[in-house]
Amino acid sequence: MNGNTGKIINVDLGKGSIETELLPEEYYTKYIGGSGLAAKLFWERGNISADPLSPEAMLIFMNGPFAGLKLSGASRNSVAGRSPLTGNWGDSSCGGYFAPELRYAGYDGIIIKGKAEKPSMLLIEDEKINILPAPEYWGKGTEEVNKAIKNKYGKNYRVLVIGPAGENLVKYSIILNEGHHAFGRAGFGAVMGSKNLKAIVVKAAGKNMNLADPEKYEELRAELNPKIKEALASDVMRENGTAANLEGGVVSGDVPIRNFTSNYWEEMGQELNGGILTEKYLTKRRVCAYCSIACKRVVEVKEGPFAIPEGPGPEYETITALGSLIGSMDLAAVCKASRVCNDIGIDTISAGGTIAWAMEAFEKGDITENETGGIKLLWGDMATVIDKILPDIAARKGKLGILLSEGSLAAALKTGKDSVNYTVQCKGLEVPMHDPRGGGHGLALAYAVSPRGACHVASPMLFMEMGACFYPEIGFEYELEPMTDENKAETAVIAVALGAIENSACFCQFADREIAIPEWVGLFNSVAGYNWDASDMMKAGTRVFYLKRLINYLFGRTAKDDALTPRMLEPARDGEPEGVFINFEGMKNKFYELMDMDTVKGIPSIKKLEEYGMGVEAKRVWRET
Amino acid sequence: MEYWKDENEPIKAFVKLFEAAMVDAELTGGLKKVNQLILFDYTEDGPNCSFWVDCRKGELKVGPGKPAEPPDMTMSLSADDAHRSWSNKLNPVMAITRKKIRVKGSATGLLKLAPKLKKVAAIYVTVLKDLGWEDKILA
Repeated sequence: MNGNTGKIINVDLGKGSIETELLPEEYYTKYIGGSGLAAKLFWERGNISADPLSPEAMLIFMNGPFAGLKLSGASRNSVAGRSPLTGNWGDSSCGGYFAPELRYAGYDGIIIKGKAEKPSMLLIEDEKINILPAPEYWGKGTEEVNKAIKNKYGKNYRVLVIGPAGENLVKYSIILNEGHHAFGRAGFGAVMGSKNLKAIVVKAAGKNMNLADPEKYEELRAELNPKIKEALASDVMRENGTAANLEGGVVSGDVPIRNFTSNYWEEMGQELNGGILTEKYLTKRRVCAYCSIACKRVVEVKEGPFAIPEGPGPEYETITALGSLIGSMDLAAVCKASRVCNDIGIDTISAGGTIAWAMEAFEKGDITENETGGIKLLWGDMATVIDKILPDIAARKGKLGILLSEGSLAAALKTGKDSVNYTVQCKGLEVPMHDPRGGGHGLALAYAVSPRGACHVASPMLFMEMGACFYPEIGFEYELEPMTDENKAETAVIAVALGAIENSACFCQFADREIAIPEWVGLFNSVAGYNWDASDMMKAGTRVFYLKRLINYLFGRTAKDDALTPRMLEPARDGEPEGVFINFEGMKNKFYELMDMDTVKGIPSIKKLEEYGMGVEAKRVWRET
Repeated sequence: MEYWKDENEPIKAFVKLFEAAMVDAELTGGLKKVNQLILFDYTEDGPNCSFWVDCRKGELKVGPGKPAEPPDMTMSLSADDAHRSWSNKLNPVMAITRKKIRVKGSATGLLKLAPKLKKVAAIYVTVLKDLGWEDKILA
């Protein structure tokens, strides 16, 4: 096989068994790789009724066909399975250095089942794969464990590790690579924790890859790398990180404030933007493997109550989730909160979203000091967030820590008093830091129909609405007005396919904005030999989207779950989008019609599935009718 | 050109726009933060169709033609698209994606200006009126 190795590792931690397996080539050409291929394997082998934190649950790591290429944006991979946070299909992607090393070691992915008797780690050194005892790492933070493993094995051993939150089964725990790059969303750190698996470590002896057409690929690489490096967006992110345009986002109303109760806070925009981070705290810029963008930040806060030593710095999502969303414009505090979340191992978006919900609930009196164990939850009180709330969540300690460790939806359902109405989540996954009321109405639709729940990277809708995409070859050559519903359903049809392609190819969405459709096709063909045209590629993307919908249907999710909470749909109270109504139902109905999806079941028709070569899958979900 | 009868007209309007912007306290602050020498290059519509803005060292200067020193950033586009842009009728992200605007040099300053475009557009309307060019105002 080319690009892909065709080989995966099956690990059963309960039995202590390790086997390698060759996958059929058709799996790749139909489901691409990454989260698409993971969905295919889950569909075939996953135990649908298994609790995501039970030994039977499958934890799947999967590369895309481009992992290991010396190409900007290509070295990401996916983790997937049933999310413990949402109970639905979940996937999450991560940059860094693990994906290429796994590819060089000879594998496309790892499927992990079972539960180790004692804390363990998985060590992959080419053909040598071992489950090793790791009690010395249990209970320790990600930073310490990452360093300890590198000290023991070598600095070029690539490490995935969970923090105490994952061990304690906090539902939005992360898996961290090299102490800096996160599989952030949907809680797969808890799945690792439930399996007593503290770390996965990989090292390859060489860096060999087979390519279908090395010359053609080299031509593409020679064009794409400079194009990605020199792009205006890359330049801006290299200089000031992913929060470079936070101030612009505040002006348009895209940046959420105090649990999405406000869309405008000018001073916050001036204090939290990437330029200020560069000016005040940046010490170094960092990259994912082979990437020229260098959007990652290394920061140091030298003095003050939130001083931290040099180490990983926050990205846009974290700056906003642990800043404006919880009422703070203290950038030093955000840096420290971000560092704490990394070390204890929790998702900053879900943490911020859940704490923001709790702060509003406290303000409204829906939860009181009775429910918080005496903790006062006040907007912008970062000392309490950092010193008390985040550690208690990770330890599942105290009334508040236990309540918030399950995520905002579970906390609101437990609290009652209509507090679900002001959760900001879809299908249980907290909404990322782009408010569709100011960022673009199509994003509301994209959040709602995304299989994993509210997600800004499940599709490039955000970029398409802002004007950063131009794909005439697949019919996207028109201009969108972000603040209307016009053409949004039609665009979403293209966007969900593109998003599935991006996430299955495991390509960074900052880098791949510069890749035109013919170049995408050229990459798939020259690297992996898929022999596609643009239509084949888009069809594969749509197929992946449909398959994830089918998996969710087996979990009991239907069309009614493609919904946003009242908070998300009420007109904005201030800022640029003040008073504007989102025609959510109109967009959703049109999208369903265009995708030929059943308006009750939320899945495609038999005919549509057959058209996409999914006749067997259709029988499984439609058999009762 | 759709909006201009010759290459001098747009430069006259744009230089006046920046002269007006430089007396607005909010825009002055925004421009100073940019801290760059910027060349606005419309030479696809005529060899002299360009102007520069110098926001370096806390000072603000504007002039027609090309600057004496090498610019930190050059923004190249047509004079018509510039007119649409200053009128806040051109999505700058889209224009860059579709290569209608080409940027050379560090673009971080652009982001500092982007939030001010609405206010710039309001001043631009006044400038066009003062020049007696109401017919060029975009609805």
